[in-house]
Amino acid sequence: MSASTAPAAPASRATRPRRTSSTATQVLFDAPGPKGRARIALLSILSSVAILAVIGLGLWQFQKNGQLDPNKWVVYLRADYLAFLGRGLLGTLKVTAVAAVVAFPFGLLLALARLSRFGALSRAATVWIEFFRGIPMLLVVYAFLLALPAYGVTVPRFWMLVIPMILVSAATTAEVFRAGIKAVDVGQHEAAAAIGLGRRDALLSVILPQAVRLVLPSLILALVTLLKDSTLGYVVSYNELQFQGKTMVSITRYLVQTYVVVSIIYIALNFLLTRIALALDARMKARASAS
Amino acid sequence: MTPTPFRPGRRAVVAAAAALPVGIALAACSSDTGAGPDLGGGSDDGGAGSPFGDAVASGPVAADDVVSGSAWATAIKEKDKLVRGGTLANQVFSLASTSGGQPTGFDAGLTQLLAQYILGDGGAEKVEYIDTTVETRETLVENGTVDCVIATYSITPERLEVINFAGPYYLSGTAIQVRTEDKDTISGPKDLTGLKIVTQSNSTGVQAAEENIPDYDESLVQTLPDNESCVAALKQGRADAYVLDQGVLLGNSAADPEVTVVGDPFVDDPYGVGLSKDDDDALEFVNTFLQEIIDSGTWKDLWTATIGEVIDGEAPEPPVPGDLPA
Amino acid sequence: MQAIAENIPLLVQGIAYTVALTLLGYVLALIVGTVLAVCRVSPIPPLRWAATIYVEIFRNIPLLSLLILIAFGLPDVGLRLPYFWCGVLGLTLSSAAFVCENVRSGINTVPVGHAEAARSIGLGFFGTLRYVVLPQAFRTMIQPLVNVFIGTVIGSALCSAIAVSEITWVTQTLNIQYAQAVIMFLVAGAVYLGMSLGGSALGGALERAVSPDPHGSSRRRNTLDVTAGAQA
Repeated sequence: MSASTAPAAPASRATRPRRTSSTATQVLFDAPGPKGRARIALLSILSSVAILAVIGLGLWQFQKNGQLDPNKWVVYLRADYLAFLGRGLLGTLKVTAVAAVVAFPFGLLLALARLSRFGALSRAATVWIEFFRGIPMLLVVYAFLLALPAYGVTVPRFWMLVIPMILVSAATTAEVFRAGIKAVDVGQHEAAAAIGLGRRDALLSVILPQAVRLVLPSLILALVTLLKDSTLGYVVSYNELQFQGKTMVSITRYLVQTYVVVSIIYIALNFLLTRIALALDARMKARASAS
Repeated sequence: MTPTPFRPGRRAVVAAAAALPVGIALAACSSDTGAGPDLGGGSDDGGAGSPFGDAVASGPVAADDVVSGSAWATAIKEKDKLVRGGTLANQVFSLASTSGGQPTGFDAGLTQLLAQYILGDGGAEKVEYIDTTVETRETLVENGTVDCVIATYSITPERLEVINFAGPYYLSGTAIQVRTEDKDTISGPKDLTGLKIVTQSNSTGVQAAEENIPDYDESLVQTLPDNESCVAALKQGRADAYVLDQGVLLGNSAADPEVTVVGDPFVDDPYGVGLSKDDDDALEFVNTFLQEIIDSGTWKDLWTATIGEVIDGEAPEPPVPGDLPA
Repeated sequence: MQAIAENIPLLVQGIAYTVALTLLGYVLALIVGTVLAVCRVSPIPPLRWAATIYVEIFRNIPLLSLLILIAFGLPDVGLRLPYFWCGVLGLTLSSAAFVCENVRSGINTVPVGHAEAARSIGLGFFGTLRYVVLPQAFRTMIQPLVNVFIGTVIGSALCSAIAVSEITWVTQTLNIQYAQAVIMFLVAGAVYLGMSLGGSALGGALERAVSPDPHGSSRRRNTLDVTAGAQA
């Protein structure tokens, strides 16, 4: 039953029609008349020139400092360079995957604890969540790298990166899950109660399946955050992409090129994930408003 | 088994037989022309017969009862590999090869000799190299991620409180690196007064600077988390001098003609093999090993094949292993 | 405790740097982000494309990579800024992308009819923005913008990797010196928590202050909005 009725929940809440960036355009800018169109054309040309000038200036700076030398760039197509960075990418994907697999269920548990009727449990979960949302992950990483070993607590290098990722990500995804659970329509609770389900059964078989669907796009974005956070492997000497890039700089001395290439890889991956999340979100909203 | 030995490339490294001459690596990496430097050792025209390969091949193998007398060495023998913490990005001491060869350099050679000493013939290839930085070395030794750290690792009283050091195996010293165009105006710590200095966080450079630069001004010192950033800061004029132990600085100069090491080292930095305090028998074992390669002349051959390429003159007298600073 | 007492000036300086990095980065990001948002929804295609590309780059690049590129990459192409301003620039560029997307989705909540009505009574672009669009969009933007603020607070810690002596850098340096980890982590943690919770509280108060219905304002937060993407 949940599958067919799930989209109805946000639909009832979504009182405003579906909006795209063109609505924002209409809010801020009037539909252009003939004079307006001429002005838009003129401004288009002017802004194109300005943008091209900025890009040109940047490239010229690169050229002037000898950073556009093709020899410094084509090397990144060589098998040994690709393998070197590929090893880092694999490390990045591995920590991200492991962290996500642990952090997401953990986040759900935290969310349920925070929503629990037991005051103490709820308060503890709230403190935990606010704490790990409010401090930088770098600090947590340093705790595992420098502070805890002094007290005899040491974990392998992989976990020195992954545990902080889990702690921080679980706290943020807990809030995502909480919002998802709250976004499920009150009517669903009432309907579950009406067919005689207890609180726990209602939660498990009616509310959660819908909530998880609702938060799916947000969870994909949490994956993006995890991927970005994995760059802190740089601090614990874990061979993820950023760290491999650093080592590569030491050997090749092509600092700008290496970090640009590394950044492009991150941007491409995250762009892809963000697109998926937004597409999924748009599809869910479209379905919701259609029903 | 911890997940940390996640290094697919290791198989490629282990697969190749012989080490590569550092000379070729240096030549390939110091030039800025052509299709870009190899990520390490150069092409595969090195191999046995190179001074480095010969030095490693000439190393001793421990008798079985020597290995079985040490729980630490026995454990390494059982897993049939030595896990070393260090860097693979130092041109003189430890440089990776992605073209299939073994890492080269003084520390890399020492690592391979130690592996061969424990694991027997062919042991030089059974090393797993784990990257560490100045900030992470102590922790990774303590928690057993690595069997030992061989990484231009200066023995200091502070570090001795946390871990054990075998050695010293090389007497280095804190030195100064400057932009090559400044090499005639700066020759020692006395010239650094009022200049901006960069060094690595948690390194011996901070204290050395504080104690040796006249009118030392703390606000002129910047600390960065790694060697790459320090070199960049120096080259880009964010700092005028990079103060750290000579081993690291020599590696930088070998890779990059824009920076030069000036003057003589002004604070002793004896390098040791970092070992966990939990493995107390490892200390004696590694010291015995160091004494053996010193006595057999392997130490000098290795020095000539690596550090000797960038320092003029004969190999110095080796230090006395076990002779730790107070 | 002794480690704290002996280093009060250093700690105060660290806190000052953290606060300065965060506030400068955030305020500049608000300005840049709003301009970007206007560009992104403007009828002028090149501006729209440029703003879109900007957002896609800067919301997807890890902040650490960005900071290292700015601090050590830019000098190689002829632009060398002091470390502190490298930090501010990195935080601004990154947070501005998220501000832009949140402002855009805030503007989206304003009914087109309101803007058309404003224009028909003769309000110009800035008049419409000032009197009709922003007052309505502002309330829905508060919570997302508080999240961007928290992201900026947390992001400022990464500036320690480029030698900005902010509070993470100071406490880690003292930690190495004194080996009093717990107290150092407490100090740093308290600074960050204070700032992020303070930001949240301020945002909440602001939200209540501008809410037309002081009792029913919390419902809106329950909706999930992913349009802005994920901030590290």
